[in-house]
Amino acid sequence: MALDILVRLAVWVLFAPILPGIINKVKAWVAGRQGPPLLQLYFDLARLWRKGVVLSTAVSAAHVAGPAIAWVALLASALLLPLGPAHGGLAFRGDVFLFVSLLAVARFSMSLAALDTGSAFEGMGAARDVSYAILAEAAIIAALLTLAVQSGSASLATMLVPSAGAGSALLAAGLFAVLLAENCRVPFDDPNTHLELTMIHEVMVLDHSGPPLAVILHGASMKLLLFSVVLAETVLPIGELRPLPAVAALAASVLAIAGGVGLVESIMARLAFRRVPLLLTTAFLLCLFALLAAWRGGGA
Amino acid sequence: MTPGALLLFAAAAILLGLVSAWRAPRLWLIATIASAAAALGAAIRILVGGGDAEWRLPLSIGGELLRLRLDGLSAFFLALLALLGGAATLYAREYWTDEAHPRSAPTGRAWWNLLLAGMGFVLLTTNGLHFLLGWELFTVSAYFLITLERQRREARAAGWLYLAASHASMVCLFAFFASLAAQTGSWELGPMRERTELAPLFWLALVGFGIKAGVFPLHVWLPSAHANAPSHVSAILSGVALKLGIYGLMRFSGWLPLPHAAAWTVAALGVVSAVLGVAFALGQHDLKRLLAYHSVENVGIILIGLGFAMVAAESGHPAWGALAFAGALLHVWNHGLFKGLLFLGAGSVLHATGTREMSRLGGLWRSMPWTAGLFVLGAAAISGLPPLNGFVSEWLIFLGLFDAVTLRGPSAWAAVPAAVLLGVTGALALACFVKVCGVVFLGQPRTDAALHAHECGWRMRAPMLLLGALCVAIGMGPAFVWPAISRAALAWWPEGPMTAGLPLPAALLTLGVWNSALVALGALAAMALWLRVDRNGIRHAATWGCAYAAPTPRMQYTAGSFAGIITGWFAWALRPRREIDPPAGIFPRRASHEVAARETVLEAIVEPVGRAVQAGAIALRRLQHGRLQAYILYIVVGLAALALLVFPGGAP
Repeated sequence: MALDILVRLAVWVLFAPILPGIINKVKAWVAGRQGPPLLQLYFDLARLWRKGVVLSTAVSAAHVAGPAIAWVALLASALLLPLGPAHGGLAFRGDVFLFVSLLAVARFSMSLAALDTGSAFEGMGAARDVSYAILAEAAIIAALLTLAVQSGSASLATMLVPSAGAGSALLAAGLFAVLLAENCRVPFDDPNTHLELTMIHEVMVLDHSGPPLAVILHGASMKLLLFSVVLAETVLPIGELRPLPAVAALAASVLAIAGGVGLVESIMARLAFRRVPLLLTTAFLLCLFALLAAWRGGGA
Repeated sequence: MTPGALLLFAAAAILLGLVSAWRAPRLWLIATIASAAAALGAAIRILVGGGDAEWRLPLSIGGELLRLRLDGLSAFFLALLALLGGAATLYAREYWTDEAHPRSAPTGRAWWNLLLAGMGFVLLTTNGLHFLLGWELFTVSAYFLITLERQRREARAAGWLYLAASHASMVCLFAFFASLAAQTGSWELGPMRERTELAPLFWLALVGFGIKAGVFPLHVWLPSAHANAPSHVSAILSGVALKLGIYGLMRFSGWLPLPHAAAWTVAALGVVSAVLGVAFALGQHDLKRLLAYHSVENVGIILIGLGFAMVAAESGHPAWGALAFAGALLHVWNHGLFKGLLFLGAGSVLHATGTREMSRLGGLWRSMPWTAGLFVLGAAAISGLPPLNGFVSEWLIFLGLFDAVTLRGPSAWAAVPAAVLLGVTGALALACFVKVCGVVFLGQPRTDAALHAHECGWRMRAPMLLLGALCVAIGMGPAFVWPAISRAALAWWPEGPMTAGLPLPAALLTLGVWNSALVALGALAAMALWLRVDRNGIRHAATWGCAYAAPTPRMQYTAGSFAGIITGWFAWALRPRREIDPPAGIFPRRASHEVAARETVLEAIVEPVGRAVQAGAIALRRLQHGRLQAYILYIVVGLAALALLVFPGGAP
């Protein structure tokens, strides 16, 4: 069991930074460019970890503690998820609310770290982050209720094992939209631009540098992997497969999701700001319809 | 010592405090805190020990013999009252000193003791008449405490509104207890579920206790009263006085037969209070008014748990109902702890800067590190974040709702929207408290008052530390408070489905371990990152502002702009009042933009109804003009009308 947990820890910490690389490769490929190397984020993280730090004269301890606590919260919520054959150990009844609340902890501490600088840009980013998260939270809870109805359980390790059944397609669409919103990808946010044009994530970390920025970037990549794993395991009955096919299926679907994010980013523009709640509400409704489908469809 | 001896000591000590309030403030402090400690001891003895304690005194008040009882449920609330009362007493000693308030400080101490004694008496009595007397005593004491600063017009207006609303509640409760006594033939209270003809009385109790608890459409008195009362009074009002409304609802939903729709109504009121309470909180600019609206939200969360427990008890699914009820009970304690902490924190901000207006604050962490840290702790707890206590109680309610959904059936249809909206409430509360912490404590000071703030002394700091420590402790070891919850739940519904006792959910132990691990790992990670930053070297510079050369603190994001997106979604309820003075001319000299949320229920419902009643009364007054001839005409017309009524009926 301890080995199981260690393996999962290693997967989350070591493999997460490759996802942004894959997305960037897909985007470059669609645009006919060479693009940055696949492991670019690893190089960035290593460099940032060694760099000195510029701190704003306005900041308190929250500026450095915030990213650290957010990272711990994201890692802890990731450890609650089953990874194909590796589940159990840390699971318990009701861990699904711990999962949701840990994501909220990350949001709380990152928003405070942003507001700490007293910059209007970062205040704007934090305001958008916490506001859109409300709609995303409604969608996530509706999705989790669907899984609970489907599996008759309130623990992630058993909820994610079977496929979501009748409402899979609806749930996949809803959760994919939530993934894009929560990870600040196009069409909700643009990870490539800067200042207030980027809307949410990039603008919240304007004043972070050095190791804290490395921790933030690594945490963001873990969050992306986390939502991809949730999406994959919701739709596919990965937990029911034998270990080797399960790992292969999980890896393949995470790759596919990353490719999907890259494609969306290549072919779509960012949404007008007032449309964002509309899209998130649509995602919530999709998850709610999936819940109704699961209810009608019987299940466990 | 037995609970009886402890309570006797508590009563004697609080009376001693009352007598010494004018001349001997130090004795008052010691006596009141000793009283709180003794009452806490008695409550704990009941909660961890065996049976209920009951006392019959050869003393009659209002013709009724005095009979007191401390069972699981009343001990649960008494523990909160004693703890928060004791903490706020110490706080008050420094917050409302004789030097700063020579006239109001001594009377404030006396009313304070009467308030605590009245609330304790309400929890102990088992007689309807005595319940009403205790209720009126603490209601009136609270009025004098709210208007302690009565030279301020807002404080007087808030006190007036509070008094009017409280007496609307009192009328309902009077009708409730009087009809109960008339139908049962005695003022004595106790379980009487078999008498189904009493069921409709629950609606009177719901309105009466609902006004006191601040349930959404009945909350009109709450924001201004909490905002204008001295902060230790706000803490006890929000932490305990509202909870007495919850206590009444819990007590009589367990003792009386319930009308069929009662459970659903309570659950629905809970959901509405939770969502709209936090929505109104987001629209506030006044720190204490904002906290007051969060009380509406948290009372809603408690009612969601209570309502679903009632639904479960009616439909015979005790397992998930017990979880929901346990969550509601624990949230009563938790809300008392973190809201007490937040109001005391807001009080020390007010004490240090002289303003409750958030847009005039900022950057207070520099001058008030203790207050800032503890306030952020309370903010995380109230937002339901792990590893703190608010998360544990919301977790229990969530688990109850999820179990209800997985079992399907009619209650599942209500549990789905409740679960989604409870999640939304959590996210809204998080947004609101990020706003508060960010605007008040982080960034740069926006005014001179904020720049020259000072940290409070140890008498104000120690109560906050105590409450903060309890928030962390309940989060890390929720299993330790389970026996108390189980005792209170047993007392709630005698001979009901829960007589077997509430088994400790195994997951709660695991949750405690997780929370403890999170505390340790979070602290470790923050420390490690700080060491790394320190080793790599730090350079200080101004906050990046697109190379703008002369930034001022006024250019920071304000509370209104932070909440703007969300208050826009809720504009239908908040109906914000905007006053815009746009810049004009080629060289504009001045411009302003003000947005304030309204008191929608008060302005759109209560005031028009009040005006209509007043207009009707004024119209009616024309009948009384002092002309004797017209009065004789009234009498003749009245007699003729009576005769017309009687004669066709063929009466003798």
